[in-house]
Amino acid sequence: MIEVEQLTKRFTQGSGRSARVVQAVDGVEFGAADGRITGLLGPNGAGKTTTLRMVAALIAPDAGRITVDGLDVATQPALALARMGVLSDARGLYPRLTARENIVYYGRLHGMSAAAANARADVLASTLDMRGLLDRRTEGFSQGERMKTALARALVHDPANIILDEPTNGLDVLATRSLRQALRRLRDDEGKCIVFSSHIMQEVERLCDHVVLVAHGRTAARGTVAELSAMAGETDFEETFVKLAFSPEERQQGAAT
Amino acid sequence: MMARAWTVYCKELVDALRDRRTLLMVVLSSVAVGPLVLVLVSQLVSGIEKRAEARMVVVQGIEHAPTLANYMARQAYTITPAPANFERLLRDSKLADPVLVVPPDFEALLARGEVPVVELMSSAGNQRAQTGSGRVFRLLRGFNQEQATLRLAVRGISPAALEAMQVEERDLANPGTRAAQLATMVPFFVLMAVLYGALNAALDTTAGERERGSLEPLLMNPAPKAALVLGKWGAVASVGMLIAVLSCLSFLPGQWLLRSETLAALFQFGLREALWFIALLLPLAGALSAVLMAIAIRCKSFKEAQANATVVILGVSLLPLVTLFNQEGAAPWHLWVPALAQSTLMGRVLKGETLVAGDVLISVAVSIALVVIGLAYVTRTLRSAALR
Repeated sequence: MIEVEQLTKRFTQGSGRSARVVQAVDGVEFGAADGRITGLLGPNGAGKTTTLRMVAALIAPDAGRITVDGLDVATQPALALARMGVLSDARGLYPRLTARENIVYYGRLHGMSAAAANARADVLASTLDMRGLLDRRTEGFSQGERMKTALARALVHDPANIILDEPTNGLDVLATRSLRQALRRLRDDEGKCIVFSSHIMQEVERLCDHVVLVAHGRTAARGTVAELSAMAGETDFEETFVKLAFSPEERQQGAAT
Repeated sequence: MMARAWTVYCKELVDALRDRRTLLMVVLSSVAVGPLVLVLVSQLVSGIEKRAEARMVVVQGIEHAPTLANYMARQAYTITPAPANFERLLRDSKLADPVLVVPPDFEALLARGEVPVVELMSSAGNQRAQTGSGRVFRLLRGFNQEQATLRLAVRGISPAALEAMQVEERDLANPGTRAAQLATMVPFFVLMAVLYGALNAALDTTAGERERGSLEPLLMNPAPKAALVLGKWGAVASVGMLIAVLSCLSFLPGQWLLRSETLAALFQFGLREALWFIALLLPLAGALSAVLMAIAIRCKSFKEAQANATVVILGVSLLPLVTLFNQEGAAPWHLWVPALAQSTLMGRVLKGETLVAGDVLISVAVSIALVVIGLAYVTRTLRSAALR
């Protein structure tokens, strides 16, 4: 369970005279319950990645509060991280290590024994349908294979909360489908709390039980896909998204170009 | 904390050792080159020695100077006639001996008590002929002296009248010191070996990790950042130290290959020296690893880091030269400068001097300080580096 309250973050870009202050996140809030897939939907640059990085204790927020299973991320980052599995935007693997070694390395960093981490790698390989990859070096893996390995690595310590930042980026249809199935399995069989960010509406519509619309660093709307559509008075989810996430001027500009 | 650092250490070490191609290049370039150069130098020196032992002079027109030929024969020298185009051969370094040119009227002038002029030809660009000309000079001076003594004796004057004093050469340097002249290149090679050993691993665990996009996920583990940095540094330093040890030990068998016996006797690099070298280099390997990591963590890509690391490479290769430029010899501050301190101390080991504990401790303390500063910087920068 993840609770995010009134999160704000501003960055200074450049230095000296050319310095520019960017308000990346300006009051995002949402709750992600266990046994549900919560989708963070928003256009590029809406502040999704920054929000998720703050949840993962990688950036300290200027204001606001994040709790993971009741643990405050600001004051107990290590304990909170132990309860989270994060698949971030950057998901580089070590090319000279096998998939298994990549996974076990993270398990060991989470304090697991080598035997436990190895056993867990086998379990995850079945869940994610990647048993054939496990003992190959990750050099030369396809995007989908990389993603699976990175996901297995993020889940090695069996976290109750799973955070995925645009996990379908660069995946083909089959890989996306197989990821979707894996996430549903994790939700239904293990009751995980899953937070999933994306800028692709179809993705969110197909998968998420609860949608948080993020635009301009703010939470624009929250609810199930049906609730949001009702709120916007639209039947089409794309129309709903555009109506709720963008201002009338922006919509006109988008239509003009 | 230590368990996590150990995990990182093991992973980074496996990762670095699996990079076979890079490792092979490092081993070839830094471990094999030193002894190879040593052997080549020894071949050059043994060639010179052979020429000296051969007691051979190349002369043009020796038929005009029977007296000189007689003297040379008595000195057990063999006379080889010069090839016709000897001037070209000398210029092109194809003739390894200087050529003595005797004028046709040599014997007649000598008999009349006049001064014939002989020419000793070599070329400043021809190293081997240059070395030989000193020997021929001494031979000719001997002939002059003999002639002078004979003429004085004819007139009933003691030869002592000609020589106000007698000069005898005595070299005060013990054989060890002379060996050090040749061995001065050994510290340079092992210093570079340590640097190149640590270089690749240091850049790969910092800038390489950023470039691959694996640093951000790594920081999402609950392991303390200091543990990550400590483990990474440990692995980098271990690779550097491994290369240091290999490089020092590689000079031991290199020594058996020395062609020249005199050189082998002079160049004393035994187990004792090798162990001293290793002891001096291990702290430096740690310090260089930390410095390289601190430089590389600021770089977004491996390539950028390589360009930035050039400063360190240049420093390590140029600092030991300070002793060459500095006319006053070793100054106390040399021991406070990394790389320069190690090269100074290694030089002393080669000269057979006993190292003072205080001097060694200074260099170790400087290395430890560099490690602490470097690692603190990397730890502090790690998070912002992952995000940029």
